[in-house]
Amino acid sequence: MLRLEDVNLFYQKNNHVLKNISFETQKEEILGIIGLSGAGKSSLLKTFNLLQRPSSGKIFLDNILITDLKKKELRQVRKQISVVFQNYNLLNSRTVFENVALALELEHQKFIEPTVLNVLEKVGLSHRKDAYISQLSGGEKQRTAIARAVVTNPKILLLDEPTSALDPKTTEKILDLVLYVNKELGITTIVVTHEMEVIKRICDRVLYLKDGTIKFLGQTHRLFIEKDSQILEDFYEEINIDKELINQKLEKKESHLLRIVFWGSSTHCPVISTLSLKYSVTSNILYGKIEHLKNNPYGTLILEISENPNYSDFLNELKKNVYFCEELTGGGK
Amino acid sequence: MIEELLKATIETLYMTFFSTLIAFMAGLPLGILLYLLSKKKDHASKIIYTFFDFIINIFRSIPFIILIILLIPLTKLIAGTIIGANSAIVSLSIAAIPFMARLCENSFNSLSHEMLDTASSMGMTTWQLITKVLIPESLPEIISNTTILIINLITYTAIAGAVGAGGLGAMAINYGYQRFRADILLYTVSILVIITQLVQFAGTLLSKRLRR
Ligand SMILES: Nc1ncnc2c1ncn2[C@@H]1O[C@H](COP(=O)(O)OP(=O)(O)OP(=O)(O)O)[C@@H](O)[C@H]1O
Ligand SMILES: [Mg+2]
Repeated sequence: MLRLEDVNLFYQKNNHVLKNISFETQKEEILGIIGLSGAGKSSLLKTFNLLQRPSSGKIFLDNILITDLKKKELRQVRKQISVVFQNYNLLNSRTVFENVALALELEHQKFIEPTVLNVLEKVGLSHRKDAYISQLSGGEKQRTAIARAVVTNPKILLLDEPTSALDPKTTEKILDLVLYVNKELGITTIVVTHEMEVIKRICDRVLYLKDGTIKFLGQTHRLFIEKDSQILEDFYEEINIDKELINQKLEKKESHLLRIVFWGSSTHCPVISTLSLKYSVTSNILYGKIEHLKNNPYGTLILEISENPNYSDFLNELKKNVYFCEELTGGGK
Repeated sequence: MIEELLKATIETLYMTFFSTLIAFMAGLPLGILLYLLSKKKDHASKIIYTFFDFIINIFRSIPFIILIILLIPLTKLIAGTIIGANSAIVSLSIAAIPFMARLCENSFNSLSHEMLDTASSMGMTTWQLITKVLIPESLPEIISNTTILIINLITYTAIAGAVGAGGLGAMAINYGYQRFRADILLYTVSILVIITQLVQFAGTLLSKRLRR
Protein backbone atom coordinates (compact mmCIF):
# COMPACT_ATOMS: atom_id res chain seq x y z
CA MET A 1 0.00 0.00 0.00
CA LEU A 2 1.18 3.44 -0.90
CA ARG A 3 0.60 6.19 1.64
CA LEU A 4 1.33 9.90 1.43
CA GLU A 5 1.38 12.09 4.49
CA ASP A 6 1.19 15.83 4.10
CA VAL A 7 3.27 15.96 0.94
CA ASN A 8 4.23 19.37 -0.39
CA LEU A 9 6.19 20.17 -3.49
CA PHE A 10 7.71 23.47 -4.53
CA TYR A 11 9.47 23.71 -7.88
CA GLN A 12 10.79 27.15 -7.17
CA LYS A 13 10.28 29.12 -4.02
CA ASN A 14 6.94 30.50 -5.09
CA ASN A 15 5.75 27.65 -7.28
CA HIS A 16 3.75 25.54 -4.83
CA VAL A 17 2.69 22.62 -7.02
CA LEU A 18 1.47 20.06 -4.46
CA LYS A 19 -0.23 21.23 -1.29
CA ASN A 20 -0.65 19.05 1.79
CA ILE A 21 -1.42 15.87 -0.09
CA SER A 22 -2.39 12.92 2.11
CA PHE A 23 -3.99 9.71 0.99
CA GLU A 24 -3.56 5.97 0.97
CA THR A 25 -4.22 3.44 -1.76
CA GLN A 26 -6.48 0.50 -1.07
CA LYS A 27 -5.47 -3.03 -1.81
CA GLU A 28 -5.73 -3.99 -5.47
CA GLU A 29 -7.88 -1.00 -6.40
CA ILE A 30 -7.67 1.16 -9.48
CA LEU A 31 -7.34 4.74 -8.32
CA GLY A 32 -7.80 7.49 -10.86
CA ILE A 33 -6.10 10.84 -10.47
CA ILE A 34 -7.93 13.43 -12.50
CA GLY A 35 -7.42 17.14 -12.92
CA LEU A 36 -6.97 19.88 -15.45
CA SER A 37 -3.68 20.49 -17.19
CA GLY A 38 -1.18 21.95 -14.78
CA ALA A 39 -3.01 20.70 -11.69
CA GLY A 40 0.09 18.76 -10.67
CA LYS A 41 -0.94 15.23 -11.65
CA SER A 42 2.35 14.22 -13.23
CA SER A 43 4.29 15.85 -10.42
CA LEU A 44 2.25 13.90 -7.89
CA LEU A 45 2.81 10.65 -9.79
CA LYS A 46 6.55 11.29 -9.81
CA THR A 47 6.67 11.68 -6.05
CA PHE A 48 5.33 8.15 -5.52
CA ASN A 49 8.69 6.57 -6.37
CA LEU A 50 10.67 9.71 -5.60
CA LEU A 51 11.54 10.49 -9.20
CA GLN A 52 10.55 13.84 -7.80
CA ARG A 53 11.42 14.28 -4.16
CA PRO A 54 8.72 16.20 -2.27
CA SER A 55 9.82 19.37 -0.50
CA SER A 56 8.20 18.07 2.67
CA GLY A 57 6.02 15.20 3.84
CA LYS A 58 6.33 11.45 4.09
CA ILE A 59 5.75 8.65 1.60
CA PHE A 60 5.31 5.06 2.69
CA LEU A 61 5.22 1.84 0.73
CA ASP A 62 3.86 -0.97 2.89
CA ASN A 63 4.73 1.04 5.97
CA ILE A 64 8.33 1.59 4.89
CA LEU A 65 9.16 5.27 4.93
CA ILE A 66 10.73 5.52 1.49
CA THR A 67 11.56 9.21 1.76
CA ASP A 68 14.24 8.21 4.25
CA LEU A 69 15.85 5.36 2.32
CA LYS A 70 19.40 5.23 1.05
CA LYS A 71 20.08 5.04 -2.68
CA LYS A 72 20.47 1.29 -2.80
CA GLU A 73 17.35 0.54 -0.78
CA LEU A 74 15.42 3.06 -2.81
CA ARG A 75 16.37 1.19 -5.99
CA GLN A 76 14.84 -1.97 -4.53
CA VAL A 77 11.67 -0.10 -3.63
CA ARG A 78 11.43 1.43 -7.09
CA LYS A 79 11.39 -2.04 -8.59
CA GLN A 80 8.13 -2.62 -6.76
CA ILE A 81 6.54 0.48 -8.27
CA SER A 82 6.31 0.23 -12.05
CA VAL A 83 5.64 3.27 -14.18
CA VAL A 84 4.13 3.45 -17.63
CA PHE A 85 5.10 6.86 -18.95
CA GLN A 86 2.97 8.97 -21.20
CA ASN A 87 5.48 8.61 -24.07
CA TYR A 88 6.08 4.93 -23.31
CA ASN A 89 9.86 5.45 -23.22
CA LEU A 90 10.67 2.11 -24.76
CA LEU A 91 14.17 1.34 -25.99
CA ASN A 92 14.45 1.60 -29.76
CA SER A 93 17.53 -0.58 -29.79
CA ARG A 94 15.57 -3.53 -28.47
CA THR A 95 12.74 -5.69 -29.74
CA VAL A 96 9.43 -5.97 -27.93
CA PHE A 97 10.65 -9.13 -26.24
CA GLU A 98 13.95 -7.54 -25.22
CA ASN A 99 12.24 -4.44 -23.90
CA VAL A 100 10.06 -6.51 -21.62
CA ALA A 101 13.02 -8.68 -20.62
CA LEU A 102 15.02 -5.61 -19.59
CA ALA A 103 13.46 -5.27 -16.17
CA LEU A 104 14.27 -8.90 -15.42
CA GLU A 105 17.84 -8.60 -16.73
CA LEU A 106 18.50 -5.94 -14.14
CA GLU A 107 17.91 -8.53 -11.46
CA HIS A 108 20.08 -11.13 -13.22
CA GLN A 109 17.08 -13.39 -13.14
CA LYS A 110 17.13 -16.82 -14.66
CA PHE A 111 14.28 -18.19 -16.74
CA ILE A 112 13.62 -14.81 -18.26
CA GLU A 113 12.22 -16.23 -21.46
CA PRO A 114 9.15 -18.09 -20.19
CA THR A 115 8.20 -15.21 -17.91
CA VAL A 116 8.42 -12.67 -20.72
CA LEU A 117 6.54 -14.89 -23.17
CA ASN A 118 3.84 -15.40 -20.61
CA VAL A 119 3.37 -11.67 -20.07
CA LEU A 120 3.44 -10.95 -23.81
CA GLU A 121 0.70 -13.51 -24.21
CA LYS A 122 -1.37 -11.77 -21.55
CA VAL A 123 -1.10 -8.37 -23.17
CA GLY A 124 -1.77 -9.88 -26.59
CA LEU A 125 1.60 -9.21 -28.19
CA SER A 126 2.99 -12.70 -28.72
CA HIS A 127 2.94 -12.27 -32.47
CA ARG A 128 4.91 -9.01 -32.30
CA LYS A 129 7.63 -10.12 -29.94
CA ASP A 130 10.47 -9.76 -32.44
CA ALA A 131 9.39 -6.39 -33.80
CA TYR A 132 11.38 -3.27 -33.07
CA ILE A 133 9.65 -0.37 -31.35
CA SER A 134 9.66 1.86 -34.43
CA GLN A 135 7.58 -0.78 -36.20
CA LEU A 136 4.77 -0.70 -33.62
CA SER A 137 1.49 1.19 -33.55
CA GLY A 138 0.64 3.43 -30.60
CA GLY A 139 -1.55 0.77 -29.03
CA GLU A 140 1.15 -1.88 -29.41
CA LYS A 141 3.70 0.44 -27.83
CA GLN A 142 1.35 0.96 -24.91
CA ARG A 143 0.91 -2.80 -24.57
CA THR A 144 4.67 -3.28 -24.60
CA ALA A 145 5.07 -0.58 -21.96
CA ILE A 146 2.43 -2.25 -19.80
CA ALA A 147 4.06 -5.64 -20.27
CA ARG A 148 7.42 -4.22 -19.24
CA ALA A 149 5.82 -2.66 -16.20
CA VAL A 150 4.07 -5.76 -14.92
CA VAL A 151 6.65 -8.42 -15.79
CA THR A 152 8.42 -7.86 -12.48
CA ASN A 153 5.21 -8.40 -10.54
CA PRO A 154 5.25 -5.00 -8.84
CA LYS A 155 3.10 -3.96 -5.92
CA ILE A 156 2.02 -0.72 -7.56
CA LEU A 157 1.44 0.13 -11.21
CA LEU A 158 1.46 3.80 -12.18
CA LEU A 159 0.07 4.90 -15.54
CA ASP A 160 0.48 8.48 -16.73
CA GLU A 161 -2.19 9.42 -19.28
CA PRO A 162 -2.24 5.90 -20.73
CA THR A 163 -4.75 6.68 -23.46
CA SER A 164 -4.35 10.33 -24.30
CA ALA A 165 -2.47 9.55 -27.51
CA LEU A 166 -4.77 6.76 -28.68
CA ASP A 167 -7.91 6.66 -30.77
CA PRO A 168 -11.21 5.72 -29.05
CA LYS A 169 -11.15 2.07 -30.15
CA THR A 170 -7.59 1.51 -29.04
CA THR A 171 -8.31 3.42 -25.85
CA GLU A 172 -11.06 0.98 -25.06
CA LYS A 173 -8.79 -2.00 -25.64
CA ILE A 174 -6.00 -0.56 -23.52
CA LEU A 175 -8.41 0.23 -20.69
CA ASP A 176 -9.67 -3.35 -20.86
CA LEU A 177 -6.07 -4.48 -20.61
CA VAL A 178 -5.50 -2.31 -17.55
CA LEU A 179 -8.61 -3.79 -15.95
CA TYR A 180 -7.47 -7.29 -16.82
CA VAL A 181 -3.95 -6.79 -15.50
CA ASN A 182 -5.29 -5.24 -12.32
CA LYS A 183 -7.64 -8.13 -11.73
CA GLU A 184 -5.47 -10.98 -12.96
CA LEU A 185 -2.25 -9.94 -11.24
CA GLY A 186 -3.83 -8.09 -8.33
CA ILE A 187 -1.63 -5.04 -8.77
CA THR A 188 -2.80 -1.84 -7.12
CA THR A 189 -3.07 0.57 -10.03
CA ILE A 190 -2.96 4.34 -10.17
CA VAL A 191 -4.03 6.04 -13.39
CA VAL A 192 -3.40 9.70 -14.09
CA THR A 193 -5.80 11.11 -16.64
CA HIS A 194 -7.70 14.15 -17.74
CA GLU A 195 -10.39 12.08 -19.42
CA MET A 196 -13.56 11.40 -17.44
CA GLU A 197 -14.17 8.37 -19.67
CA VAL A 198 -11.11 6.66 -18.20
CA ILE A 199 -12.39 7.29 -14.69
CA LYS A 200 -15.84 5.97 -15.55
CA ARG A 201 -14.59 2.84 -17.23
CA ILE A 202 -11.94 1.52 -14.92
CA CYS A 203 -11.52 3.41 -11.66
CA ASP A 204 -12.81 2.21 -8.30
CA ARG A 205 -11.87 5.44 -6.63
CA VAL A 206 -11.04 8.93 -7.81
CA LEU A 207 -8.72 11.60 -6.55
CA TYR A 208 -9.61 14.97 -8.00
CA LEU A 209 -6.67 17.33 -8.00
CA LYS A 210 -7.11 21.04 -8.47
CA ASP A 211 -4.31 23.57 -8.18
CA GLY A 212 -2.26 21.08 -6.23
CA THR A 213 -4.89 20.26 -3.61
CA ILE A 214 -7.14 17.24 -3.27
CA LYS A 215 -10.67 18.48 -3.95
CA PHE A 216 -12.23 15.07 -3.81
CA LEU A 217 -11.16 11.58 -2.86
CA GLY A 218 -13.60 8.72 -2.79
CA GLN A 219 -15.46 6.11 -4.74
CA THR A 220 -16.12 6.94 -8.36
CA HIS A 221 -19.90 7.15 -8.10
CA ARG A 222 -19.56 9.56 -5.17
CA LEU A 223 -17.61 11.88 -7.45
CA PHE A 224 -20.55 11.99 -9.80
CA ILE A 225 -22.95 12.82 -7.04
CA GLU A 226 -20.64 15.63 -5.95
CA LYS A 227 -20.18 16.65 -9.53
CA ASP A 228 -23.85 17.16 -10.09
CA SER A 229 -24.08 19.29 -7.01
CA GLN A 230 -21.67 21.60 -8.76
CA ILE A 231 -18.45 21.02 -6.92
CA LEU A 232 -16.72 19.86 -10.03
CA GLU A 233 -18.64 21.85 -12.54
CA ASP A 234 -15.55 23.63 -13.81
CA PHE A 235 -14.22 20.30 -14.90
CA TYR A 236 -17.11 18.35 -16.23
CA GLU A 237 -19.96 19.96 -18.04
CA GLU A 238 -23.22 18.01 -18.19
CA ILE A 239 -24.41 19.05 -21.60
CA ASN A 240 -27.72 17.24 -21.65
CA ILE A 241 -29.27 19.04 -18.75
CA ASP A 242 -31.46 21.90 -19.84
CA LYS A 243 -30.34 24.30 -17.17
CA GLU A 244 -32.52 27.12 -18.37
CA LEU A 245 -35.67 25.07 -18.00
CA ILE A 246 -34.68 23.94 -14.54
CA ASN A 247 -33.86 27.48 -13.49
CA GLN A 248 -37.20 28.75 -14.69
CA LYS A 249 -39.01 26.07 -12.73
CA LEU A 250 -37.00 26.82 -9.65
CA GLU A 251 -37.79 30.50 -9.88
CA LYS A 252 -41.52 29.92 -10.24
CA LYS A 253 -41.55 27.76 -7.08
CA GLU A 254 -44.75 26.08 -8.19
CA SER A 255 -43.30 22.60 -7.93
CA HIS A 256 -40.51 20.66 -6.27
CA LEU A 257 -37.45 19.56 -8.17
CA LEU A 258 -35.62 16.43 -7.09
CA ARG A 259 -32.31 15.05 -8.23
CA ILE A 260 -32.20 11.32 -7.73
CA VAL A 261 -29.25 9.00 -8.19
CA PHE A 262 -29.63 5.29 -8.68
CA TRP A 263 -26.62 3.16 -8.02
CA GLY A 264 -26.21 -0.61 -8.01
CA SER A 265 -29.35 -2.58 -7.15
CA SER A 266 -31.72 0.40 -6.93
CA THR A 267 -31.42 0.93 -10.68
CA HIS A 268 -33.51 -2.13 -11.31
CA CYS A 269 -36.72 -1.52 -9.41
CA PRO A 270 -39.46 0.91 -10.42
CA VAL A 271 -39.29 2.98 -7.23
CA ILE A 272 -40.61 6.21 -8.67
CA SER A 273 -43.76 4.85 -10.21
CA THR A 274 -44.55 2.69 -7.21
CA LEU A 275 -44.23 5.61 -4.81
CA SER A 276 -46.01 8.03 -7.11
CA LEU A 277 -48.97 5.69 -7.11
CA LYS A 278 -48.83 5.12 -3.40
CA TYR A 279 -48.82 8.82 -2.52
CA SER A 280 -50.71 9.86 -5.62
CA VAL A 281 -48.19 12.50 -6.59
CA THR A 282 -47.60 13.40 -10.23
CA SER A 283 -44.06 13.44 -11.41
CA ASN A 284 -42.57 14.79 -14.58
CA ILE A 285 -39.15 13.71 -15.79
CA LEU A 286 -37.00 16.68 -16.75
CA TYR A 287 -33.81 14.75 -17.26
CA GLY A 288 -32.75 11.15 -17.11
CA LYS A 289 -29.62 9.27 -17.91
CA ILE A 290 -28.08 5.89 -17.20
CA GLU A 291 -24.38 5.33 -17.63
CA HIS A 292 -21.93 2.74 -16.45
CA LEU A 293 -19.21 3.17 -13.90
CA LYS A 294 -16.85 0.19 -14.16
CA ASN A 295 -19.81 -1.85 -15.45
CA ASN A 296 -22.13 -0.83 -12.63
CA PRO A 297 -25.16 1.10 -13.76
CA TYR A 298 -25.41 4.65 -12.48
CA GLY A 299 -28.57 6.59 -13.16
CA THR A 300 -29.51 10.23 -12.70
CA LEU A 301 -33.03 11.59 -12.77
CA ILE A 302 -34.33 15.09 -12.34
CA LEU A 303 -38.02 15.02 -11.43
CA GLU A 304 -40.58 17.70 -11.15
CA ILE A 305 -43.19 16.96 -8.50
CA SER A 306 -46.28 19.11 -8.38
CA GLU A 307 -47.42 20.55 -5.05
CA ASN A 308 -49.22 17.85 -3.09
CA PRO A 309 -50.17 17.31 0.58
CA ASN A 310 -48.38 13.93 0.57
CA TYR A 311 -45.17 15.38 -0.81
CA SER A 312 -43.07 15.19 2.37
CA ASP A 313 -44.10 11.57 3.07
CA PHE A 314 -43.33 10.74 -0.54
CA LEU A 315 -39.91 12.36 -0.24
CA ASN A 316 -39.09 10.53 2.98
CA GLU A 317 -39.87 7.15 1.58
CA LEU A 318 -38.13 7.96 -1.68
CA LYS A 319 -34.96 8.89 0.16
CA LYS A 320 -34.97 5.49 1.84
CA ASN A 321 -35.31 3.68 -1.44
CA VAL A 322 -32.86 5.38 -3.74
CA TYR A 323 -29.13 5.78 -3.42
CA PHE A 324 -29.18 9.55 -3.26
CA CYS A 325 -31.86 12.15 -3.40
CA GLU A 326 -31.75 15.89 -2.99
CA GLU A 327 -34.14 18.76 -3.42
CA LEU A 328 -32.92 21.32 -5.87
CA THR A 329 -33.26 24.85 -4.65
CA GLY A 330 -33.03 28.12 -6.50
CA GLY A 331 -29.90 30.13 -6.92
CA GLY A 332 -27.67 27.19 -7.65
CA LYS A 333 -28.22 25.51 -10.95
CA MET B 1 58.49 5.48 -54.98
CA ILE B 2 55.58 3.08 -54.59
CA GLU B 3 57.29 1.71 -51.53
CA GLU B 4 57.49 5.18 -50.06
CA LEU B 5 53.83 5.84 -50.81
CA LEU B 6 52.88 2.58 -49.17
CA LYS B 7 54.95 3.40 -46.11
CA ALA B 8 53.36 6.84 -45.85
CA THR B 9 49.89 5.35 -46.20
CA ILE B 10 50.59 2.87 -43.46
CA GLU B 11 51.92 5.63 -41.24
CA THR B 12 48.80 7.71 -41.80
CA LEU B 13 46.56 4.72 -41.06
CA TYR B 14 48.63 3.92 -37.99
CA MET B 15 48.35 7.43 -36.60
CA THR B 16 44.66 7.67 -37.41
CA PHE B 17 43.88 4.29 -35.94
CA PHE B 18 45.63 4.74 -32.63
CA SER B 19 44.55 8.32 -32.07
CA THR B 20 40.96 7.31 -32.86
CA LEU B 21 41.23 4.42 -30.46
CA ILE B 22 42.58 6.62 -27.66
CA ALA B 23 40.09 9.39 -28.38
CA PHE B 24 37.24 6.88 -28.32
CA MET B 25 38.37 5.14 -25.15
CA ALA B 26 38.80 8.43 -23.31
CA GLY B 27 36.18 10.54 -25.06
CA LEU B 28 33.25 8.18 -24.62
CA PRO B 29 33.58 7.91 -20.82
CA LEU B 30 34.16 11.64 -20.64
CA GLY B 31 31.05 12.21 -22.74
CA ILE B 32 29.05 9.93 -20.44
CA LEU B 33 30.37 11.77 -17.42
CA LEU B 34 29.47 15.14 -18.93
CA TYR B 35 25.98 13.94 -19.76
CA LEU B 36 25.34 12.49 -16.33
CA LEU B 37 26.72 15.58 -14.62
CA SER B 38 24.59 17.86 -16.72
CA LYS B 39 21.45 15.98 -15.61
CA LYS B 40 22.20 16.15 -11.90
CA LYS B 41 20.58 18.88 -9.92
CA ASP B 42 23.02 19.30 -7.04
CA HIS B 43 25.41 22.18 -6.80
CA ALA B 44 28.66 20.19 -6.84
CA SER B 45 27.76 18.45 -10.13
CA LYS B 46 26.93 21.76 -11.71
CA ILE B 47 30.31 23.19 -10.77
CA ILE B 48 32.21 20.14 -11.99
CA TYR B 49 30.26 20.19 -15.22
CA THR B 50 31.00 23.86 -15.81
CA PHE B 51 34.68 23.16 -15.18
CA PHE B 52 34.86 20.31 -17.73
CA ASP B 53 32.78 22.27 -20.16
CA PHE B 54 35.20 25.19 -19.94
CA ILE B 55 38.31 23.01 -20.42
CA ILE B 56 36.78 21.24 -23.42
CA ASN B 57 35.85 24.52 -25.03
CA ILE B 58 39.39 25.79 -24.59
CA PHE B 59 40.92 22.71 -26.21
CA ARG B 60 38.47 22.88 -29.04
CA SER B 61 39.20 26.49 -29.79
CA ILE B 62 42.97 26.11 -30.13
CA PRO B 63 44.03 25.55 -33.76
CA PHE B 64 45.64 22.14 -34.14
CA ILE B 65 48.98 23.37 -35.38
CA ILE B 66 49.30 25.57 -32.28
CA LEU B 67 48.17 22.75 -30.03
CA ILE B 68 51.03 20.63 -31.39
CA ILE B 69 53.48 23.31 -30.42
CA LEU B 70 51.95 23.82 -26.98
CA LEU B 71 52.07 20.09 -26.39
CA ILE B 72 55.76 19.68 -27.22
CA PRO B 73 56.84 19.24 -23.58
CA LEU B 74 54.15 16.65 -22.96
CA THR B 75 54.91 14.85 -26.22
CA LYS B 76 58.56 14.65 -25.25
CA LEU B 77 57.61 13.26 -21.90
CA ILE B 78 55.31 10.57 -23.29
CA ALA B 79 56.94 9.61 -26.63
CA GLY B 80 60.49 10.57 -25.84
CA THR B 81 60.78 12.57 -29.05
CA ILE B 82 58.76 15.15 -30.92
CA ILE B 83 59.07 13.72 -34.40
CA GLY B 84 57.61 10.55 -35.86
CA ALA B 85 54.21 8.91 -35.85
CA ASN B 86 54.14 8.04 -32.16
CA SER B 87 54.69 11.63 -31.14
CA ALA B 88 51.97 12.74 -33.49
CA ILE B 89 49.57 10.32 -31.83
CA VAL B 90 49.98 12.21 -28.55
CA SER B 91 48.83 15.54 -29.92
CA LEU B 92 46.26 13.96 -32.23
CA SER B 93 44.66 12.14 -29.30
CA ILE B 94 44.66 15.18 -27.08
CA ALA B 95 42.98 17.22 -29.76
CA ALA B 96 40.47 14.46 -30.43
CA ILE B 97 39.41 13.52 -26.89
CA PRO B 98 37.46 16.73 -26.13
CA PHE B 99 35.95 16.60 -29.60
CA MET B 100 34.79 13.03 -29.09
CA ALA B 101 33.50 13.81 -25.60
CA ARG B 102 31.38 16.63 -26.92
CA LEU B 103 30.06 14.53 -29.80
CA CYS B 104 29.07 11.76 -27.39
CA GLU B 105 27.44 14.18 -24.98
CA ASN B 106 25.37 15.50 -27.87
CA SER B 107 24.34 12.00 -28.92
CA PHE B 108 23.12 11.25 -25.41
CA ASN B 109 21.30 14.54 -25.25
CA SER B 110 19.37 13.65 -28.37
CA LEU B 111 17.75 10.75 -26.49
CA SER B 112 14.35 11.43 -24.92
CA HIS B 113 14.64 13.40 -21.67
CA GLU B 114 12.45 10.86 -19.98
CA MET B 115 14.92 8.02 -20.58
CA LEU B 116 16.68 8.91 -17.33
CA ASP B 117 13.39 8.90 -15.43
CA THR B 118 12.54 5.55 -16.96
CA ALA B 119 15.87 4.09 -15.96
CA SER B 120 15.63 5.33 -12.39
CA SER B 121 12.05 4.20 -12.08
CA MET B 122 13.17 0.71 -13.07
CA GLY B 123 15.73 0.84 -10.29
CA MET B 124 18.75 0.78 -12.60
CA THR B 125 22.20 1.42 -11.25
CA THR B 126 24.29 4.03 -13.03
CA TRP B 127 26.28 1.26 -14.67
CA GLN B 128 23.11 -0.41 -15.94
CA LEU B 129 21.89 2.96 -17.20
CA ILE B 130 25.10 3.37 -19.20
CA THR B 131 25.36 -0.15 -20.57
CA LYS B 132 21.69 -0.92 -21.14
CA VAL B 133 20.28 2.43 -22.11
CA LEU B 134 22.72 5.20 -22.97
CA ILE B 135 25.18 3.33 -25.16
CA PRO B 136 22.86 0.91 -26.98
CA GLU B 137 20.27 3.62 -27.59
CA SER B 138 22.74 6.10 -29.01
CA LEU B 139 25.00 3.61 -30.76
CA PRO B 140 24.03 4.58 -34.33
CA GLU B 141 24.63 8.19 -33.39
CA ILE B 142 27.97 7.33 -31.73
CA ILE B 143 29.07 5.44 -34.84
CA SER B 144 28.35 8.35 -37.14
CA ASN B 145 30.13 10.66 -34.74
CA THR B 146 33.14 8.38 -34.67
CA THR B 147 33.15 8.52 -38.46
CA ILE B 148 33.32 12.30 -38.27
CA LEU B 149 36.12 11.97 -35.73
CA ILE B 150 38.16 9.62 -37.95
CA ILE B 151 37.84 11.87 -40.95
CA ASN B 152 38.88 14.84 -38.89
CA LEU B 153 41.86 12.91 -37.63
CA ILE B 154 42.93 11.97 -41.15
CA THR B 155 43.14 15.64 -42.09
CA TYR B 156 44.89 16.36 -38.80
CA THR B 157 47.58 13.75 -39.60
CA ALA B 158 48.39 15.80 -42.68
CA ILE B 159 48.84 18.90 -40.53
CA ALA B 160 50.97 16.89 -38.13
CA GLY B 161 52.94 15.75 -41.18
CA ALA B 162 54.04 19.32 -41.70
CA VAL B 163 55.88 19.24 -38.41
CA GLY B 164 57.62 15.92 -38.73
CA ALA B 165 54.99 13.29 -38.12
CA GLY B 166 55.46 11.39 -41.37
CA GLY B 167 52.58 9.88 -43.31
CA LEU B 168 50.83 10.96 -46.48
CA GLY B 169 50.63 14.57 -45.40
CA ALA B 170 54.35 14.80 -44.88
CA MET B 171 54.99 13.19 -48.23
CA ALA B 172 52.66 15.59 -50.00
CA ILE B 173 54.44 18.52 -48.46
CA ASN B 174 57.96 17.18 -49.01
CA TYR B 175 57.56 16.21 -52.64
CA GLY B 176 54.64 18.23 -53.82
CA TYR B 177 55.34 21.50 -52.14
CA GLN B 178 59.08 21.57 -51.73
CA ARG B 179 60.18 19.64 -54.85
CA PHE B 180 57.33 20.54 -57.18
CA ARG B 181 56.44 16.90 -57.85
CA ALA B 182 52.82 17.36 -58.86
CA ASP B 183 52.41 13.64 -59.61
CA ILE B 184 53.28 12.62 -56.06
CA LEU B 185 51.06 15.35 -54.66
CA LEU B 186 48.25 13.91 -56.76
CA TYR B 187 48.92 10.34 -55.56
CA THR B 188 48.97 11.25 -51.89
CA VAL B 189 45.88 13.39 -52.11
CA SER B 190 44.09 10.62 -54.03
CA ILE B 191 44.96 8.09 -51.36
CA LEU B 192 43.71 10.46 -48.63
CA VAL B 193 40.48 10.97 -50.54
CA ILE B 194 40.01 7.23 -50.99
CA ILE B 195 40.61 6.51 -47.31
CA THR B 196 38.17 9.23 -46.30
CA GLN B 197 35.51 7.94 -48.69
CA LEU B 198 35.93 4.39 -47.43
CA VAL B 199 35.64 5.45 -43.80
CA GLN B 200 32.55 7.50 -44.52
CA PHE B 201 30.98 4.69 -46.49
CA ALA B 202 31.64 2.11 -43.79
CA GLY B 203 30.46 4.45 -41.05
CA THR B 204 27.22 5.33 -42.78
CA LEU B 205 26.50 1.71 -43.56
CA LEU B 206 27.13 0.54 -40.01
CA SER B 207 25.14 3.35 -38.47
CA LYS B 208 22.22 2.67 -40.80
CA ARG B 209 22.30 -1.01 -39.97
CA LEU B 210 22.07 -0.23 -36.27
CA ARG B 211 19.31 2.34 -36.56
CA ARG B 212 16.04 0.73 -35.74
N1 LIG C 1 10.41 20.25 -13.56
C1 LIG C 1 9.62 21.32 -13.33
N2 LIG C 1 10.16 22.50 -12.96
C2 LIG C 1 9.39 23.56 -12.69
N3 LIG C 1 8.05 23.56 -12.78
C3 LIG C 1 7.44 22.43 -13.16
C4 LIG C 1 8.20 21.25 -13.44
N4 LIG C 1 7.33 20.26 -13.80
C5 LIG C 1 6.11 20.81 -13.73
N5 LIG C 1 6.15 22.11 -13.34
C6 LIG C 1 4.99 22.99 -13.10
O1 LIG C 1 4.18 22.39 -12.13
C7 LIG C 1 2.81 22.51 -12.43
C8 LIG C 1 2.17 21.15 -12.46
O2 LIG C 1 2.70 20.41 -13.56
P1 LIG C 1 2.33 18.91 -13.86
O3 LIG C 1 3.09 18.48 -15.03
O4 LIG C 1 2.45 18.11 -12.63
O5 LIG C 1 0.79 19.07 -14.23
P2 LIG C 1 -0.20 18.00 -14.84
O6 LIG C 1 -1.39 18.00 -13.98
O7 LIG C 1 0.49 16.72 -15.05
O8 LIG C 1 -0.56 18.67 -16.22
P3 LIG C 1 -0.82 17.93 -17.65
O9 LIG C 1 -2.23 17.44 -17.61
O10 LIG C 1 -0.67 19.07 -18.61
O11 LIG C 1 0.21 16.88 -17.82
C9 LIG C 1 2.75 23.26 -13.76
O12 LIG C 1 2.45 24.59 -13.47
C10 LIG C 1 4.12 23.13 -14.34
O13 LIG C 1 4.46 24.26 -15.07
MG1 LIG D 1 1.04 15.49 -16.83
